[in-house]
Amino acid sequence: MTANQDGTDVTAEPEQHDDGGITATAVSRSFGQVHAVELMDFHAPAGKVTALIGPNGAGKTTLLLMLASLLAPVSGTITVGGLDPQHHRAQVRSRIGWMPDTLGVWESLTAREILTQMARFYQLPKDGIAQRVTEMLDRVRLTDLADQPARVLSRGQQQRLSLARALIHDPSVLLLDEPASGLDPGSRVELRVMLRQLAVEGKAVVVSSHVLSELDEIADAAVFVNRGRTVRHQTTDEAAAAGRRYAITAADTKALAAKLTELGLTFRIEDGRRPAISLLLLNDDDAARLLRDLVLAGVVVTSFAPASGALEETYMNLEGERR
Amino acid sequence: MSQPTVTMQPPVHGRAAGYFAGIRDVVVLELKQRLRSRGWYIMLAIWFILTGLVTWLTWASWSAQREAQRAYGGFGPAETAGPGSMIFEVVLAFVLLFALLVAPALSANAVNGDRAGGTLAILQVTLLRPGQILWGKFLAAWFAALAFLVASTPFLVIGVALGGMTPGHVVVALLMLAVEVGVVCAIGVGISALANRPLFSIVVTYLAVAGLVFGSLISFGLGTGLSQGTIMANQSQYRGYSPYEPLQEQPMPMEPEYTCSGPLVAQPAVHTERVAWMLAMNPYVVVADAIPYPVRATTNFGSPQGAIESISQAARYAMAGPEGTHPCANGEAKPRYLAQETPLWPLGLGLQLLLAGLLLWLGWRSLRTPAHRLARGTRIA
Repeated sequence: MTANQDGTDVTAEPEQHDDGGITATAVSRSFGQVHAVELMDFHAPAGKVTALIGPNGAGKTTLLLMLASLLAPVSGTITVGGLDPQHHRAQVRSRIGWMPDTLGVWESLTAREILTQMARFYQLPKDGIAQRVTEMLDRVRLTDLADQPARVLSRGQQQRLSLARALIHDPSVLLLDEPASGLDPGSRVELRVMLRQLAVEGKAVVVSSHVLSELDEIADAAVFVNRGRTVRHQTTDEAAAAGRRYAITAADTKALAAKLTELGLTFRIEDGRRPAISLLLLNDDDAARLLRDLVLAGVVVTSFAPASGALEETYMNLEGERR
Repeated sequence: MSQPTVTMQPPVHGRAAGYFAGIRDVVVLELKQRLRSRGWYIMLAIWFILTGLVTWLTWASWSAQREAQRAYGGFGPAETAGPGSMIFEVVLAFVLLFALLVAPALSANAVNGDRAGGTLAILQVTLLRPGQILWGKFLAAWFAALAFLVASTPFLVIGVALGGMTPGHVVVALLMLAVEVGVVCAIGVGISALANRPLFSIVVTYLAVAGLVFGSLISFGLGTGLSQGTIMANQSQYRGYSPYEPLQEQPMPMEPEYTCSGPLVAQPAVHTERVAWMLAMNPYVVVADAIPYPVRATTNFGSPQGAIESISQAARYAMAGPEGTHPCANGEAKPRYLAQETPLWPLGLGLQLLLAGLLLWLGWRSLRTPAHRLARGTRIA
């Protein structure tokens, strides 16, 4: 069977997806009176990084727990590579790698022991475990610390260990809950590179986050959730096409404002530390054209840059709609 | 399915072998963590020192008593046995007491402690089944508690070495202690899977242990008050007994020293057999009743020798009820004290295992994934 891999119509017919990705269709889950997730739709195709974006308490973690087959949805279905976790527990679990938002590290065990234990829990062939563990330690750059107890690892190192733990059984679906929280900028870049690499290997990578700037760089598509519902499904290209906000500062803000008014653009003056003007531009060509016009008009532009990522723009608009 | 990515398939063993292998992996994970915590070694050292201290004090006090008796000119009962029996009993009681105190601490945060630390879900998301996680945690807690019994073995052996006891006593005693510790560990692990917070489950487990040790006595005591009834019995006539005659130098016969005659009349009696099962659940009763002691032909006026025998006989006496102990119940002469031979411990242990099994089963239900119901306020990860 040839699977539709280009991801253009991912929300159209979720039942059709058996490309190794993970799909949730109209799932609901409530805890007592709280409806954490209501009729949420989600799809992450293989070979792509899908971002799950939403404010705190939007139901991201609950959805991920259901995708990881830890929680059962009250209604709706989840399929992993075409299999239902309720009925094909073992097959589904050997395909899913889950990295929780709480690190959950066995502190007195060494990194090597933790990965070895996990390999055993996933029933990997015994004679291949040692080699597989060494390989994973190498991949997350923990070889030097492999025989240190996990409690001496820094947060970033524990995060990497947690990622290696989720990858030990070579899952085809990777679920990462806030993987970048608490990481320094260098580690974030590293994580980004690694996730792209995993997607290239053909895994379906799901990343939940509310730090949006980095998702622009790694996510192929984003699912926005809020108050337990799927609010929007958008590829990063679509998000970029919807326009993004640019911030401009000039030596003379008044002159800049006058020129923008003259060009017939709507803008707003930001109350930042330095006076800046922001406005929505559709694409990079528009931005280039505007910058040229401003410079030619003699406005002393000191900075001209996107004010936010493309996904952030969508997110902030959603936030705006909510209020 | 067009999914070629997953190539690593588990090797096909028997299903049971795979299940036990999973349990073993969990036990290994748990024991590695326990063996690396310093607290466990400190507790073990304190335990060893305390047990040694109690053994030494018991021996010292026995010696001092004997010295005092000698100084008063050889009064008192003739020394038939060394201090072995007493040391054995005191150490046994002490070890059981401390085992009951240590076991909850080792077991009652096994599951919810991991839940709080975020490591339980890591296990649950793997191919491990909830039963494997629970059995693994229970066995690991049990093994950790058994180390304390091993540490106290030398002192129980001393009891044997000083005379009066056979190695069989030590073996049976250790076996029963191990089983009792296992029951408490199972209760602790079961409660820890059910309760949200480690502190709560530890307290509840201690209360459960207190319920078994003291609650069983209290409820038995109160229960006997509610078990008043009657029994059909006739008159007993003691042979050769008269308060005004001096006691004859006769060996105490094992057989009843009275005859029964006359019509059967309803006499008031307490039906202790109806509530004896509560008494049977007491860990001390289970251990004491399981340890063999000889049925002696002669006794010192029917008083049992040693605490183990007393507890066992008292419990069996309660179990037999008036039907078996009231003189001339149903017109039959009953054997005297020390002759209740129906063991009580299988009943008590059975009830304890039932309780532990029920808690483990409830705990297993709460560990199943994908989880349908969660206890209020529980976060799975």
